[in-house]
Amino acid sequence: MSYTPGVCTFCGTGCGHYLKVNGTSVQGVFPSRVHPVSKGRLCVRGWNIHELLGTHERITKPYVRDAGEVSYKDAVAKLVSALSSYKPEEIAFYASPRSSNEDNFALMKLARLIFKTNNISIQAESGHRNSLDVLYNGTGFAGMLGSLEDIRKAEVLIVAGMDITTQNPIIGSELHYAARSGSLLITIDSRMTKIAKLSKKFINIKPGTMRQVFDAIAYYIDKQQWGNTKPAHYEEYKKYLATVPFDSIEKETGVLPGEIAFVAERLAKAKSAMVFFTSGISGLSYDAIASIFNAFVLADKIGKEGCGVNPIAGINNLQGSFDMGCAPDLLTGFQNIDDATARKKFEKKWGQELPTFKGKTVEQLLADNSSPLKALVIVDHDDGIVKYADRLKSLPFVAYIGAFTNKVADFAHVTLPITTYIETDGTFTNTERRVQLSVQKCNPAFDVLPMWKLIDTIAEAAGKPFNYQHASDVMDEIAALTPAYEGISHKLLSKKHGVQWPCTKKNHDGTKYCVPEKVSFVLPQKPYAAVQATQEYPYLLMLGKAQHYWHQNNIMHKTFIPLREYNATLLLYPDGYVAVSPEDAKKIGVRDRWPVNVVAQKASMKAMVMISDDVAPGTAYVPYFIREGIASFLLAYSDIVSQGEEATIPVRIEKV
Amino acid sequence: MYLVKKNDIKKIAKALEEKYTLYGPYMDKEFGQCFFDKVTADTVDLNAPIPTNPPKHVVFPHLETIMQYKYDKNARKADIAMVFDDTPKALFGLRSCDLTGLQCIDRFFLGQEFVDEVYRHHRSRMFIVANTCVIPFKQCFCVCTDSGPAAQEGYDLNLTDLGDSYLVEVGSEKGKTFIEKFNFPQATEEHLKQKQKLVEKSITMFDDIATESKAWVSRVMNRVTTGFIKEEIWEYIGNQCIECGACSYVCPTCTCFNINDANTAAGNTERLRTWDSCSYEGYSRMAGGHNPRKPIEDRRNKRFFCKLSYSQSKKYLRPGCVGCGRCAWVCPGDIGLPNVVTYIRREIHE
Amino acid sequence: MSEQKIVTVPEIATIEEIKDEIVDVKTFYLKFDNKEIDGNFKFKSGQFIMCTIFGAGEFAVSLPPSPENDRFHITVRRIGKVTNALHDLQVGDKVGIRGPFGNGFPFEEIKGKNVIYVAGGIGLIPLRSSIVHVLQHRNDFGRILLLYGSRSPQDLMYQYMLEQWQNIEGFETFITVDNGTPEWKGNVGIITTLFDKVEIPVENTVAFVCGPPVMFNAVIKELMQRGIKDDMIISTLERHMKCGVGKCQHCAIGRTLVCTDGPVYTYRQIKTLGEQI
Repeated sequence: MSYTPGVCTFCGTGCGHYLKVNGTSVQGVFPSRVHPVSKGRLCVRGWNIHELLGTHERITKPYVRDAGEVSYKDAVAKLVSALSSYKPEEIAFYASPRSSNEDNFALMKLARLIFKTNNISIQAESGHRNSLDVLYNGTGFAGMLGSLEDIRKAEVLIVAGMDITTQNPIIGSELHYAARSGSLLITIDSRMTKIAKLSKKFINIKPGTMRQVFDAIAYYIDKQQWGNTKPAHYEEYKKYLATVPFDSIEKETGVLPGEIAFVAERLAKAKSAMVFFTSGISGLSYDAIASIFNAFVLADKIGKEGCGVNPIAGINNLQGSFDMGCAPDLLTGFQNIDDATARKKFEKKWGQELPTFKGKTVEQLLADNSSPLKALVIVDHDDGIVKYADRLKSLPFVAYIGAFTNKVADFAHVTLPITTYIETDGTFTNTERRVQLSVQKCNPAFDVLPMWKLIDTIAEAAGKPFNYQHASDVMDEIAALTPAYEGISHKLLSKKHGVQWPCTKKNHDGTKYCVPEKVSFVLPQKPYAAVQATQEYPYLLMLGKAQHYWHQNNIMHKTFIPLREYNATLLLYPDGYVAVSPEDAKKIGVRDRWPVNVVAQKASMKAMVMISDDVAPGTAYVPYFIREGIASFLLAYSDIVSQGEEATIPVRIEKV
Repeated sequence: MYLVKKNDIKKIAKALEEKYTLYGPYMDKEFGQCFFDKVTADTVDLNAPIPTNPPKHVVFPHLETIMQYKYDKNARKADIAMVFDDTPKALFGLRSCDLTGLQCIDRFFLGQEFVDEVYRHHRSRMFIVANTCVIPFKQCFCVCTDSGPAAQEGYDLNLTDLGDSYLVEVGSEKGKTFIEKFNFPQATEEHLKQKQKLVEKSITMFDDIATESKAWVSRVMNRVTTGFIKEEIWEYIGNQCIECGACSYVCPTCTCFNINDANTAAGNTERLRTWDSCSYEGYSRMAGGHNPRKPIEDRRNKRFFCKLSYSQSKKYLRPGCVGCGRCAWVCPGDIGLPNVVTYIRREIHE
Repeated sequence: MSEQKIVTVPEIATIEEIKDEIVDVKTFYLKFDNKEIDGNFKFKSGQFIMCTIFGAGEFAVSLPPSPENDRFHITVRRIGKVTNALHDLQVGDKVGIRGPFGNGFPFEEIKGKNVIYVAGGIGLIPLRSSIVHVLQHRNDFGRILLLYGSRSPQDLMYQYMLEQWQNIEGFETFITVDNGTPEWKGNVGIITTLFDKVEIPVENTVAFVCGPPVMFNAVIKELMQRGIKDDMIISTLERHMKCGVGKCQHCAIGRTLVCTDGPVYTYRQIKTLGEQI
């Protein structure tokens, strides 16, 4: 009877599975048929997770540069003494969206309580934060509003610019099943993704116009007076809608007015509707998310069963990391660090004042060469950080905490190994706010500590032990400090497939879909500016980031089959590619895998051509993550790149 | 043939436990999912439904080490040793579809041009007790693939639940020698007739109970063999495939595997064998980049050709599908074999 | 003739000599450590072995030496994880060998016939075995021709052998390159252009073709246009392989497994495989 239930920890779907465990090794995996979200399905990563969990490419002993392998005691002592020699503003902590809630909370507590710094952030750039900000500003909930379990209950399902069957395959599968049983599935995207092929209606939009399209949909709903005008700030929103150029919408976005009307009518008149967009390793911009959210507020699709504005996290505990306060301005549960009530609660529990200076994200500190950053603690990071390799090398102190061998550890002065998630207890919060417990499945294969225990050891060495005996102790502390997690404990979770927060002591079943007390429209922060192609730069270059995250993912490199699958594209196009439509390829005069120059106003790069039917003529697509050559081109456009999946750059493509 | 009271049936399991590692169906304590895995005579549950996982993992594990070697680069010395597992295994309560699957795998690994030594060791000391399905389950369609609900061959003992007792049929010398020792009362022709009635009744129940997966397999096999299926059908099917590999992993007759050498922290190297799936793009991709089965539809085409046609003519000499229905519930794209067969048939009639 | 095959546990062999061929291609001369096997490893032209590079993995590689009186070696291009590890090995390092597997080129069956070899790029490597073997029994065959093309003069395999072969009486060799260089004095043009320059025999003739898929299809067309039947055109197919013994199924093409039914097929068989090669 060696199959033990657990949670998959690759992506934000959090599928239920069983691991076949034999002592210290995992010998196989099998899906959980009764899990409310995954319902017996897994993707290529989930089906081969045992390859990752059994790998010997682990960091097996603590390591100090110039001293070699040392004991935990010595390594921790070195870490504490180094960090203690710097001012709080000079120290930063880079949390991992893969760590469990217990690990992340302990890290956040270490940063704020022991080393008195607010410089803590997650390595997922700003994507998911944008989603949480919009949803919080509009509803008071900093998390996906709907529930994945309810997908089949929604009458209308909209996928906005997300290759969902590649990023979160099982959510894509749920959409597919829902469509087959009668839901109307609409995809709005600039590329013909697989979910677009499976949709009843595919609306092909010009790159970078997602915001405009949803504004137009809202404009139409409002014009027809189908909308709910009660939410707060409606008057200002109406004024904003008046600026939407609906009459020239086709020229702006490539979408016919009739198609906008179709979506608007279905969205307004359906009993229930959900929208899905990518959130995480670059999501949409704040304004694009706001426009999607506002359309749904206007269509009165907030706070009802089968409804949801659903940012989809690509990484397993991205939502949980934010819930644990791993941001310069946040405490747990999206409580703002400047909120007096929240501060008092923490200070009372921890017996010490919280730091008051305005913290910065690690990305900001690394990108700005004049920032005071001197000491950085990195947890389980991927290669992406090496775009700041020079700055990293110049830091006087870098520490790395992780379970698997990683090139990033080469930058570290102190390396501390930890267990994998099956070698300890831990909870993970998936993209639909579902907090799921993964119990320890086997003894650690090597003599290493769980991260929450390691953090406690560091705190102890610094003079203020946290006194965590079990991972459940950490969750109890989280519950005491976080209203949304109030009713959650390991004991509660051990008999269920997780609970979705808010979960209070009175409501132990959690909350499937969020019903806000007050809903308000979220006004955009910046005026809309369309990116137009010109004679000199006739192609609109789209950037894809989220679905290619897995190519450069460190844990992917420890597997065999998932690595082979994700490598397929890389091996054919070793320096990355630029995807163009067959017609454009003919125009440029190139065939598949021929080299081209991609020239923009500020920078240019070489790439190989990939001829793809999925890309509309006049547009081109580049996967950001794949190779550094492309990444350095995009450094010149970092302000545009920060718009996430909306990022569009006019370029010229020339045969070499 | 013997008649064994319900209370006494576990005696067989207990006796098997003494010589073999016992495998059988059980319900997982936490969430009630049925698995076929290591059990004890006390925990094995003959009333459990069809297991969600395919019993093939007992002789063909999801992940196993088949060889270990150590290469000392300085001394230029290599030591290689195979890792075989020939522990005796008893499968207690194997359903007829899974038993048919096991026979297919036997014919494949132990026949053809070479004998797979790793498999031969796994399989060398095995005792099989089959369990007739007196009632089908929602996902089943073994009646469409000639693999149930009662096992015809390949078992040492076959159990049928007659109500208050089990009819125990002997299928081999090994089974005969084993069961004789118990001195159970002999069963009569009447009991055999009872079993036949139960099996017939079970078959009639498929229409009402086994509603999830129906597949007129034989109709479609000819079409698949001759290749007269329009490309659009494979594209339609391929569009729904998200290349997860689940269909191959849960199929009782799928045997494709991958080999990788993994260096251990101890300094030696393990050669690992893991399940692989022809659904994956990298499955047929060659080092230089050429991939003869790059489009998804080609891979779907290949899978069903292999399951429905190739298997008949060479691999197992019978259809590759045993009607267990697992690929239907595990598929994220809803294109398990029953649905694919339906799509192909629909196209034939249009 | 029953062959001794090393099926499950690899036999250890030592790299005796390494020779650089063209860019990224090296020849490794191997000697079995086990004295009973060394010198007694019998194989047919066209068969292949599974070669283990310790610490990296195992890969399938065709055997270029002639089955008679030829030093045992493999010629490998650096292309993937395992072949990269092989190229980093030195003389004296060990590798593991399983085999020989596959069906091999016909030899007895083609005696008395004219033989045409058509090769493209590194496709000449698997054909080398048959060419050398046939030349060792020159008198058993009619006309023997070699049509060989590569992308450029630097990409021509076995240049030292090509020079020798050009001087062998009764062995007609024709070489071309897609892109010439100022120093290149020979034919320029893709391999199909050689067919206009050569009077190939058609009656009682067998043709061996080996090269990249694009070249393969073009050459087949030329041969059949001139009257060579599809069961007289023979090729060796390559596929991703993991086990080499017909179990892992990675090498399946339709109903056939390249590692056990092939890798040598006639074009008549290839046409009926049901999948593209």
